[in-house]
Amino acid sequence: MTSAHLALQAGGLGQDLPELERRRFLFVTGKGGVGKTTISGALALAFAARGKRVLVAMCNTKERLSAILGTRPIGQEVTHVAERVWAVNISPDKALREYGEMVLKVRAAADLVFDNKYTRTFFRAVPGLFEWAMLGKAWFHTTELLPDGSPRFDVVLLDAPATGHGMDMLRVPKVILDVAPPGILRRDAEAAWAMFRDPARSGVVVVTLPEEMPATETVELVAEIRGELGLPVHRLIINGVLPPLFSPEERRALLVDPGRLDIAAPTRAAHTAESAIVAGARRAMRESVQHESLGRLRRELDLPTVILPFLFDEASTVAGTRRLAARL
Amino acid sequence: MPGPLAPPRNTPPAVDASLLADDAGLAPLLASRRVILCVGCGGVGKTTTTAALGLAAARRGKRVLCLTIDPARRLSQSLGIEEMKTEAQTIEPARFERAGVDVPGSMTVMMLDTKSTFDSLVASLAPSPEQRDRILGNVLYKYISTSLAGTQEYMAMEKLYAVRSDPSYDLVLLDTPPTANALDFLDAPERLVGAIDSAATRWFVQAFQSSGKLSLNLLARSTAAVLRGIGKLTGSGFLEQIAAFIHEMNAVFGGWKQRADAVASALRGPDVAYVLVTTPDPLCVREVLYFADRLREQEMRRDAFVVNRVHPVYGAIPGAAEIAAALDGSGLALGPGAAARLLQAAEDESRMGKLDHLNLIALDAALEDEQTGGSVRVDVPAFPYDIYDVAGLARIADVLAPLPGAAG
Repeated sequence: MTSAHLALQAGGLGQDLPELERRRFLFVTGKGGVGKTTISGALALAFAARGKRVLVAMCNTKERLSAILGTRPIGQEVTHVAERVWAVNISPDKALREYGEMVLKVRAAADLVFDNKYTRTFFRAVPGLFEWAMLGKAWFHTTELLPDGSPRFDVVLLDAPATGHGMDMLRVPKVILDVAPPGILRRDAEAAWAMFRDPARSGVVVVTLPEEMPATETVELVAEIRGELGLPVHRLIINGVLPPLFSPEERRALLVDPGRLDIAAPTRAAHTAESAIVAGARRAMRESVQHESLGRLRRELDLPTVILPFLFDEASTVAGTRRLAARL
Repeated sequence: MPGPLAPPRNTPPAVDASLLADDAGLAPLLASRRVILCVGCGGVGKTTTTAALGLAAARRGKRVLCLTIDPARRLSQSLGIEEMKTEAQTIEPARFERAGVDVPGSMTVMMLDTKSTFDSLVASLAPSPEQRDRILGNVLYKYISTSLAGTQEYMAMEKLYAVRSDPSYDLVLLDTPPTANALDFLDAPERLVGAIDSAATRWFVQAFQSSGKLSLNLLARSTAAVLRGIGKLTGSGFLEQIAAFIHEMNAVFGGWKQRADAVASALRGPDVAYVLVTTPDPLCVREVLYFADRLREQEMRRDAFVVNRVHPVYGAIPGAAEIAAALDGSGLALGPGAAARLLQAAEDESRMGKLDHLNLIALDAALEDEQTGGSVRVDVPAFPYDIYDVAGLARIADVLAPLPGAAG
């Protein structure tokens, strides 16, 4: 993978992002709290800045993207949120119904099936049907065309649920292939699965933090996505990387006294010169953990990597997202 | 507020501390409740909070059971527990001694495993071994027991229900699965049972039974049209498969439905506490407030709010010259320009601290009603590293539920 080597040689600053935006469908996933939604928003802005029309699809979530992009709440309808960027929060019920209408072709037949109060409950027991409907709807948006015949969206970014639920969702087409008999559902699941596994059209973007636990879980997550699911992983985005202030020797010196790392130390030292040394020790600790985590991610994952800076007071803000987009 | 506390079963460490009320932070909850659920969105440190609360209770002489999903490897290692084991594992007292933490009670950890919980539920409710084996061997069961939306949440509740009356424990803590959506967690029992045991499934089962197999002309025309529509969607053999499975499960339903109702009402019991965990991040704060609203709607309590990772504010930070002087006196050998970089570190962290403070003002305002309603809020300072040992958990426990008489 020459692009991987280029990115690594250049300190992983993602020169090869244009290659990423050529995919039509990207899953953005990662452990909860790593900034997945912020990264989805930033990626969308970055792609849009390169002239792409981008849709960010969320899955029936208490959506945070509108706060991050500074727009009105994003609902079940595709909403324009920034130049060349649209967003939608997919509702499983609505998506399932739309899917049903597509399959059954006749509106009245769909009404009969979906307005039946029994069937609605029944559908919950059908393996993966709701997840499939959401996934399918997100995918459907890649196939939409404008009146001039060009695609409505060049890239659809799926802001997938956090690790566990996200994996469940990625697994859905496979579950359907395992349990469903031949039929439309199975046929569509087969087509989707083939597409998801095609690295030229689709793939996964994994977001993580330069911290111990997220790094460990990311190594496992990538192994699962590539191994068990056999899906291509195109990027590792390491969010929140601190600019190092101290050399390894300085870090060691600052970490000698464990008292400075105690949670009460900052309060005890407030207003004195010792406060700067306590802050230095805390920073040294974080930098050491970061150094180890970055090393580990580099060693254990052969992935093109993008490193994004820690935003001290702009995290989860519109300005912060735009800054990250500029870096992407 | 809860009334006076029952005396701890063992004498707490500090002799004269027994004279002081143990009512700081979450201590009253540890004393008065039998079950504590920690809820919140992913990545806010819920597992650590749960473990620290468990330790706080064990230090007060309680025999504690922590139900957890997936603890960090280093945390399990330092506690001496195996990650993949779903049986109860009691932490050796020597681990606490080595960390210098006095624990008169005990702490047991049990890993939640959705499939094995579901399996044992089916086994306990199935009327015959044959029926049990048929269900456990069904291809749909494999899916429903692991991946059906709500299964994980429901099985966590189920496990909690199964252990809550176990006399070997005084307190059971549940580290709830990270739900994508607060609704998932609260609605899980109803949703899961609703998917299988409901008028809907009876309707389907009857539709199939009345014909022996799917023979649509024997059914009412509208029913037939609906079944044909679904059949077209999912493949027709699939319907029969699902109906047969549901029919099989029906033998188990009576007990199950009752049990789900019991689980749901147990969640509202007076001996259950809800601890909502967040960080100062505005998006997490929003989520936790939304969660609180949902609990309120369901007439469930919001007993405590824990805010993790609150960054410090260093107050008036001295200038680089003063820091350089302090550095000379400290014996620290740092490179050139270190004073300026230390100043930078303090300023960087103070910026985060000030932002946290602003975000927490918003939380404060939103929690005004909650706090007059008796909810407690505790802020836990940010550690510069992941907590993975007993000593670290004890420091968090000191913040969440300070022992009486401990230095402030």
